[in-house]
Amino acid sequence: MTAARDAILEAVRDALEQSTRDTETIATEARMLLDDLDEVRPVLPLPDWVASFTNRVEGPKVGATVERIAEISDLPAAIARRLMEAGHEAKVTLQPTRVLKELDWPAAGVRLGDDVDDAVVVGLALWGIAETGSLVFHSSPETPILHNFLCATHIVAVHSSTIVPYLEDYAAAARKRGDPAPRNACLITGASGTTDIEGSLVKGAHGPRELHVIVIDDNGV
Amino acid sequence: MQAKKATFKERARAALADASLKIAIERTAGNAERKRASAVCDFPQFAAARERGRRIKDHVIANLGHYLVEFERNAIASGAKVHWARTSEEASRIVIDICRSAHARRVTRSKSMLGEEIGLPHALQAAGLERVETDLAEHIVQLADEAPSHIVWPAMHKTREQVAALFKARHAIPPASDLIPDLVESARRDLRQKFLSADIGISGANFLIADTGAVCTVTNEGNAELTTTPPPVHIVTAGIEKLVPSIEHAFALLRLLVRSATGGDFTQYTTFHCGPKRADDADGPKEFHIVLVDNGRTRMLEQGLGEMLRCIRCGACMNHCVVYRQIGGHAYGATYPGPMGSVLTPVLSGLPHSRDLPHACTLNGKCAEVCPVEIPLPTLLRGWRDRSWKEGLEPQTVRFGIGCWAFVARRPALYRLASAMATRWMRLFRNRGWIRWMPLAGGWTAHRDFPAPQRTTFIHAYKASRRENSR
Repeated sequence: MTAARDAILEAVRDALEQSTRDTETIATEARMLLDDLDEVRPVLPLPDWVASFTNRVEGPKVGATVERIAEISDLPAAIARRLMEAGHEAKVTLQPTRVLKELDWPAAGVRLGDDVDDAVVVGLALWGIAETGSLVFHSSPETPILHNFLCATHIVAVHSSTIVPYLEDYAAAARKRGDPAPRNACLITGASGTTDIEGSLVKGAHGPRELHVIVIDDNGV
Repeated sequence: MQAKKATFKERARAALADASLKIAIERTAGNAERKRASAVCDFPQFAAARERGRRIKDHVIANLGHYLVEFERNAIASGAKVHWARTSEEASRIVIDICRSAHARRVTRSKSMLGEEIGLPHALQAAGLERVETDLAEHIVQLADEAPSHIVWPAMHKTREQVAALFKARHAIPPASDLIPDLVESARRDLRQKFLSADIGISGANFLIADTGAVCTVTNEGNAELTTTPPPVHIVTAGIEKLVPSIEHAFALLRLLVRSATGGDFTQYTTFHCGPKRADDADGPKEFHIVLVDNGRTRMLEQGLGEMLRCIRCGACMNHCVVYRQIGGHAYGATYPGPMGSVLTPVLSGLPHSRDLPHACTLNGKCAEVCPVEIPLPTLLRGWRDRSWKEGLEPQTVRFGIGCWAFVARRPALYRLASAMATRWMRLFRNRGWIRWMPLAGGWTAHRDFPAPQRTTFIHAYKASRRENSR
């Protein structure tokens, strides 16, 4: 085991034939590779990040649906409406997070279940990313990863104040939270899809068949 | 299907005669080519991003030892177990040992080209483990008992009709119809319980993040997370060149990878796996192993093939290769097909066994043009041709032919005489500007006509025009 490790590191050293460089020089070089990011990433289509995000989510590349609500207390009613329109039963499984569990679901006529497999799952993303239309989940006691992958219909709520412009802004925000890196950080960008047969796109490969995003407008709150 | 033929030429000939193969390749690769072009068009910063991506990879390769040690330290701190493997055998043995000590029976696997490279599918089978490939294309290839023919679309060689026949024969509940959505549904049904009952999940890595010890996987199906979350053990096998300094560097490369591979802007599921499940986490594996594999990579560094370690496995070079588009991936007879494969295979299986591959290239430069990290593929392929010549691997007929040509080409008067004679001789066989048949040219004219040469040679015409002008 250590023999293999030493042999590989030695082979690398021999091949590169360079005197050991100090960590600080390497770190500076690595940081410089992230300078002038605007030259190497796409321009957001709209000046408003939240609008860019929703635009992206609805666009052909992500192909999900999106709506905006004023407050989190409106979420159960919005979901009830959405499920009715899509012809689904008014029954959902919640990501076991306090914020979602405390909402008044019975008042909106939504029953709560605990089935995940092929169910309608409602989750709350930590962040949205405008550049890609991604929703971010970090694994935790309140965030089972499988909820996001085993469901048939994935409904994800995200606060507009947590929508960031670029992928790098998510990385910075996650660092700023100061938590140790989670077991899983999932960036979810649309429903599950495959182009494995003749390059033709089909939704619902293994994971969710559809993704609906609900932006809760809390900017400035 | 694709019979196991001994040589590249035999396999290529068989592939060229396979009409449905060409239809299958055109449907997927043609689509990929168009979608990439449109994605690049929508991203005017692509050229600058590509240059940056190249610099990131070069920086990592130049400081590979530093990043390997940093990654290992942070991965261990997150609770992962890190293993090192010099060769494919060593890597497979480490994986099998982990499976054995976990008393595993069923292993799910999310597509990884490195896994294919080290012969992991075979090793798992040989160890008596039930192997379940979860990527749809890998599932198709496993049911058909074939090898992948493309690094992004392993079942590119199959038409929907062939997949339908396969699923009807092999799925407990056959697909409802031959339509692609019904085929996808059938695979979803077949694999769902297997995901949840696996003892071990194995994935590859698109990136290894040095400053956190995390492993990044990207899929559009979501099969990586379904493979790596339910079982108690998650094993990652990754090449040592997959390192990046931080998540931001991975993002810079992901912008290039996805556009170049599928023409999308971002994969549906981009996940970072860091250590095993935390104590109170709702789900996740209890053990997390990372196997860092060399298998020829340090040899590439040593032999001046370091540029090839930039490769992020997008598959654009093969989608745009005129040779790949004609013969498909199986004809290459190796894990990695197409231009990148023809550079890698001589490293992995030795030049004497693969000297045909660097020759199966028109040097049109298309692969280098679309490569998202600017790998000079034609130059590297020419390097192998050069070595093959120097090591005496070129066949006698080739050496003799090139020897004759070199003899004539180094003697201008003789060269002019020979080309003037050849022009006259060839014109004897012309018909409306084309040669349909000519002695000694059967290898060419059996498949297409040859344009008849002009009446005079270039040198002759050049001299004539100089005379004209000086009058």
